[in-house]
Amino acid sequence: MKRLHLVSWLAAALVVAACGSTGGGGSNTNSYSGKTIKLGAILSITGAGGVYGPQSRDGANLAVKQINASGGVNGAQIALTINDDASDKAQSAQVAQKLIQQEQDLALLGPTLSNSAVAVHPLAESLKTPILAVSTTGIHIVPDCNFPATTPCKYVFRDSLGEETAIPTNIKSYAEDKQPKTGVLLVAQDDKFSSDGGTIVQNTVAQYNVNLLKTIKFNKAEADLSPYVTQAVQAKPDVIFITSLGGIPAKIMTEARKQGWQGQFLGGNGFNTATVSAQAAGAGKGARSASAWYLGNTFASNKDFVDAYKAEYSKDPDQFSAQGYTAIKILADAAKRANLTFSDLAGDRDKLRTAMESVNIQTPLGPFQFTSTHDVKQTVWVIAMDGAGGFTLVHEIKQS
Amino acid sequence: MDFFIQLFSDPVGFWNSHTLLIAQIGINSILAASMFIVLYSGQLSLAAPGFMAIGAYTSVLMDQYWHTPLALNIATGVFLAGVLGLLVGLPVLRLRGVFLAIATIGFIEALRLGVILNVPITGEGLGLKNLSADPLGGIYLVLVSLVGVLFVVWRLTKGRLGAAWAAIRQDELAALSQGIDVARYKMIAFVLSAILAGFAGALEAHLNFFVDPGDAQYGVARAVQILTFAVLGGSGYVLGPVVGALIITLLPWIFQAQGIYINIVTGVFLIAVIIFRPQGIVGRGGLAIIRPSWWPRRAGPSAASPG
Amino acid sequence: MDQQILNAVFIGSIYALFAVGYTLVFGVLDILNLAHSAVFMFGAAITYSLVINHGQAFWVACIVGIAASAVLGLVIEHVCLRPLRRRRAPPIAALISTVGLALIIVAVIEQGQKGSLFGWLWVDGANSVAFPAGTIPNPTWHIGDLTLEASKVAVIPISVALMLALGYVIRYTQVGRALRAVAENPRAARLMGLDVDRMISLTVVISSALGGVAGILFGVALGDISPYIGRDNVEVRGLAVIVLGGMGSIPGAVVGGYLLGLIEVLAVVALGSGARGGVAFAALFLMLVLRPQGLFGAQLREKI
Repeated sequence: MKRLHLVSWLAAALVVAACGSTGGGGSNTNSYSGKTIKLGAILSITGAGGVYGPQSRDGANLAVKQINASGGVNGAQIALTINDDASDKAQSAQVAQKLIQQEQDLALLGPTLSNSAVAVHPLAESLKTPILAVSTTGIHIVPDCNFPATTPCKYVFRDSLGEETAIPTNIKSYAEDKQPKTGVLLVAQDDKFSSDGGTIVQNTVAQYNVNLLKTIKFNKAEADLSPYVTQAVQAKPDVIFITSLGGIPAKIMTEARKQGWQGQFLGGNGFNTATVSAQAAGAGKGARSASAWYLGNTFASNKDFVDAYKAEYSKDPDQFSAQGYTAIKILADAAKRANLTFSDLAGDRDKLRTAMESVNIQTPLGPFQFTSTHDVKQTVWVIAMDGAGGFTLVHEIKQS
Repeated sequence: MDFFIQLFSDPVGFWNSHTLLIAQIGINSILAASMFIVLYSGQLSLAAPGFMAIGAYTSVLMDQYWHTPLALNIATGVFLAGVLGLLVGLPVLRLRGVFLAIATIGFIEALRLGVILNVPITGEGLGLKNLSADPLGGIYLVLVSLVGVLFVVWRLTKGRLGAAWAAIRQDELAALSQGIDVARYKMIAFVLSAILAGFAGALEAHLNFFVDPGDAQYGVARAVQILTFAVLGGSGYVLGPVVGALIITLLPWIFQAQGIYINIVTGVFLIAVIIFRPQGIVGRGGLAIIRPSWWPRRAGPSAASPG
Repeated sequence: MDQQILNAVFIGSIYALFAVGYTLVFGVLDILNLAHSAVFMFGAAITYSLVINHGQAFWVACIVGIAASAVLGLVIEHVCLRPLRRRRAPPIAALISTVGLALIIVAVIEQGQKGSLFGWLWVDGANSVAFPAGTIPNPTWHIGDLTLEASKVAVIPISVALMLALGYVIRYTQVGRALRAVAENPRAARLMGLDVDRMISLTVVISSALGGVAGILFGVALGDISPYIGRDNVEVRGLAVIVLGGMGSIPGAVVGGYLLGLIEVLAVVALGSGARGGVAFAALFLMLVLRPQGLFGAQLREKI
């Protein structure tokens, strides 16, 4: 009898220790053992969004592997499917419907592009399925996924630092450092990401006494941006704001430097990948942006993540892999605390959603929580391109 | 292949969880019917996406600003598409073959890049959100409409219009010399095709929470896709393009397992089908439209193609 | 404004070179080769990859890139065009087969990642990259208000030289005469002993090589190489150019290219940046309605 007593104490201690190491919830009053937590990710693996989708996938898969290897979520294994939407809105929505209604996934991740989120998030909301955005940073993702209506969407969350936070943080930080007087904004008018970013810039600059001399619009597919850069340079601003992504920031920066402009580039999330920094090379040196993540950030959970990622994939992670990884951690933590029944899908999805709202865990992005509008609450890093394909840290701004 | 497994083992479940996909097939089929009409009358018009845009934006804007009922919104969109079809058709109908195709490409891109992207009310580059979209229930409207459309088009091809169109397609000069008012019949086909495209556009907007002026929605990419429905399926029968639409819309699902190679497999598939069955899957008469004068002609009228 | 005109001339040269290949195939085969824009992209991508991933000298990479584009032309002929000719398919079928091949070519580059199946061709996936600054000597001159970059300036003589060379070949050599015979009437040409298939292969190969050169010039001068540069920049504009110039006419393609470049720039200056895309197509539409044969094309035979 005594030995049994001792063994059960040991078992309980082990379990408590295991819970503690995932940084999350309380005691496991539920055992989910033998069950499967089904998650579906809608990511752009082919098509133009294919620049980001694979990273989100790799980060998420790593997290799933780690969690499953250390006992799963209260004993349940996570089954994550990766579904390509070919960067196409309509396909994104069709895939979402299949995952929600046929696969009966507990929750979804994605989609990769803000453009596709416009189609998918309202659908997930109307079908009452939690969906966690892992890379969309435009406006009207949360809380009003059904914009122009303003009823808050209950099932839509995001862990990707929005431009609404990132851009003003960046501008504020630079204004405090250098007090610029004038700026010009270059924006791709047919790209939601860029356009949203542009709106945010326009709404923010006045607060920091920066006079926006011009807003120059172009179409994202245009090859030759030199006429637009020429217009910008001719206005002689202190700052040029670039809110696009893909190959556009590097092109603008290279062209502006060629035309002799020496001022400061400020951008949004579009600046935050190694590819853009490498492409901009010398022209981009010193270009600043605010990032949700920084390779060298000193949180312990980040170091573990970076080491594990390098071991698994033989390359450095980036912001998208960090956010994909974090998303799984968030969902796993919420699932643990949600008292899932595994027999009432609608009820489980609602419980998961509620549990997500109170998430508070350590992630590669630092300590992470959701705001009351399901948006991101985390440390922000202001970074600058180093001219050689990497970034240097300018400021670390802890969450308030 | 588990796509098909689910389809056959649990049809009801499949239906319920794929309404968006099935509805898209329906919409693409209506577009295919629109393409069928112009091809059947010997006109290689790629203007459908432009008329789709008119139908879509009109119905969504009316809903957003005037909150009018769906039927009225769609009807207005269709009507405007038809009017624009008349206006665009007038100058371009004299053009033949590939020249008409390019002129219609000019039209749709001028509309999309020049007008839609620059007029604030359309939401410009970001498009419009359609809050009264009904992705789950809209499927019934789409399918009923499809049946209606196909029936009407089929009857038309059997009647006098169809005969005139076939004659024009075979040989415009000969038809003219037989007393057929070629210009009038071509215009009728063009406007009818515009109406169907406008209708499809309005339906598509009703099914999705967005309307946006991307290349894949209303640009050349869409026009080429619709053309592919017709060429792959064969445009001798109205069912030809519909079969083409079905296959093309399902391709990403059928080839899902190919993962990152999906586009390569799709390309191979397209090439293989068109080489081994150039008259299309539902062949029969095929595309006798843009044959330059030296292209070998067959002996009788619409002889069945070999193979 | 003058800088804008300069920009128009640079980009116009690239449009013109691209369109020349397009119109050549149309003139000889009556087919729109929709894989041409993919060849444009492929030439640029292969050249970039050779320089950056395989450490080749730039000029070597260019030669290989152009050769690769020419080979791709052979692929187009043997996979997309010849089988259809053999089966007496209508010309429109070639639209679909070339679209299919374009899809494959773009997908191969788009999915090229380090260590993947196509990693030897391209490793940057869907990203947009550019030649690093030192790849070729690229001095920049400032004359008054104008900025002149050597790489952009060089585009003009290179493309003009190539177009003149092609014009010379078509007009004054035996091969050129044979090509013109095939363009005029393939059946008659065959009856007179010409190997029509060979002539067609040659046409597509030359056209693709020129397309590849245009792509390389684009990648170097405009600093943008991605799987989508063909689709985004020249695929549809190429059509506008050959319509403006007259389909099947090489001088027409040349003039049309510069004309389109100018029209676009003037539209931006006069109407704002939003007008750029739309204006080109409005011009195209008007040309077709008012003068379908374009500036240099012959009267259409089948006009009613």
